[in-house]
Amino acid sequence: MNLPVEAVLRPRDLGEALSMLAEDPSAVPVAGGTDLVVQLRARRRHAPVLVDIGALGLDRIAVEGNALVIGAAATMDSIARSAAVREHAPALATAAGQVGAWPIQCRATLGGNLANASPAADTAPPLLTAGATVTAAFPSGQRRIPVLDLFEGPGTTRLAPGELITSVSIPLDPVPAGARRVDRFVKLGPRREQIISVVSLAVRAALLADGTLADVRIAVGAAAPTPVRAPAAESVLEGRPPGGAARREAARALQEDIAPIDDIRAPARYRRLAAAVLLDRLLGEISHG
Amino acid sequence: MDERIVVRLVLNGEERSFRVAPGRRLLDLLREDAGLTGTKEGCGAGECGACTVLLDGRPVPSCLVLAASCDGAAVVTVEGLGGPAGSHPFQRALVASGGVQCGFCTPGLVMTGAAVLEAGVTAPADQARLLSGNLCRCTGYVKVFEALRRAGEDGDG
Ligand SMILES: Cc1cc2nc3c(=O)[nH]c(=O)nc-3n(C[C@H](O)[C@H](O)[C@H](O)COP(=O)(O)OP(=O)(O)OC[C@H]3O[C@@H](n4cnc5c(N)ncnc54)[C@H](O)[C@@H]3O)c2cc1C
Ligand code: FES
Ligand code: FES
Repeated sequence: MNLPVEAVLRPRDLGEALSMLAEDPSAVPVAGGTDLVVQLRARRRHAPVLVDIGALGLDRIAVEGNALVIGAAATMDSIARSAAVREHAPALATAAGQVGAWPIQCRATLGGNLANASPAADTAPPLLTAGATVTAAFPSGQRRIPVLDLFEGPGTTRLAPGELITSVSIPLDPVPAGARRVDRFVKLGPRREQIISVVSLAVRAALLADGTLADVRIAVGAAAPTPVRAPAAESVLEGRPPGGAARREAARALQEDIAPIDDIRAPARYRRLAAAVLLDRLLGEISHG
Repeated sequence: MDERIVVRLVLNGEERSFRVAPGRRLLDLLREDAGLTGTKEGCGAGECGACTVLLDGRPVPSCLVLAASCDGAAVVTVEGLGGPAGSHPFQRALVASGGVQCGFCTPGLVMTGAAVLEAGVTAPADQARLLSGNLCRCTGYVKVFEALRRAGEDGDG
């Protein structure tokens, strides 16, 4: 079988890729292809000209200054195994290690996961809680977009046509003295592996020496048209210990933060309950160390 | 239209060159252009693992990989896994453990399993997690996991 594709262009550097994308408005970038090939095969997407971005050297993962910088073409497998990611963004390492199964992780890229803009994209919640920004390049320059502002709706981003994500930066914000960073991700689906999340949730905070939480950030996937932050639940937890009354109140407040829908994977009501359970579970884990 | 694309591979250790349609999947290049029909197509959508091959040493679903993206890469299929010594230790352990029934999943399964061993993963729970994308409707997995554990322990044996 051949996919309905008329040309695959194979640029060797970023500049060449950007001009190929600029020259042909119908050209679409392809990285791992784990979303795009599925869409092309099912004729859910028309993309006759592909620009393969696999040879542009965009797969580096490194600490640069005050940020952890992950190339857009880094695979989920390399992110999950990276010592730097596990140290500075453990929730992202966990999420990457739960995208599909291992062979998918060896192809699927971070840039593709974000640009595909599924509300269930597993790397989105941990990037939202980490305050990550993407760097996007176009022929005449580049710009930075907070991951929070990248998503427009299901399957759509605010990237301009021909604009390429080149990397994702996670600020290395230190925690106060004596405090410990907690950074966790959990997803729920009918099976542990090879499933698209019914709901996913990330929590990032500083656990202070007195047992209270500071700088609490919560994000939820698959519970709104885009992955979202959860300000109501965050403010309930700020300055309080993660167990006890705050834990129950936060799970309730979370309901204001989300707007799930009924779809093939679950009804909205189930998603609401599941999001509360996931938050409760993570807070339980955090309060028990 | 449909300008053919040259794809050079080190395929099972041998340098090969193919001229393929731009929309060719790696799976079809292997099965139809290279005649290596060991690799199977199950779902065609990345979900079953039957089409798994090693691309530059990593297991990937060849049904989702564009052949055009593989120019210059090393590909290993089930036909090339064992090398001159015969079959791979995991293949032998699968046979010995009774981990093969209809055999449709086996070519993909052995590629992922070989990569698990190559990565030095020995904890049974981790081995099972890494194999979770290779679906098998016959064996119930117990003997498959047992074979992988054995192959890991025996090294070459
Ligand atoms: C069986 C299976 C299971 C899956 N399970 C999960 C899961 O559990 N969780 C999950 O989140 N996802 C899952 N996915 C979806 C998919 O694997 C991920 O979204 C993956 O990260 C996509 O990356 P890619 O490199 O394969 O993207 P591609 O398919 O190459 O591209 C996806 C989209 O992004 C665009 N794009 C790619 N790179 C860039 C870039 N650098 N800049 C701008 N645009 C770009 C492409 O044009 C395309 O529109 C699964 C897919 C399959 C087939
Ligand atoms: S045929 Fe490729 S994963 Fe099923
Ligand atoms: S042996 Fe039949 S599918 Fe695995």
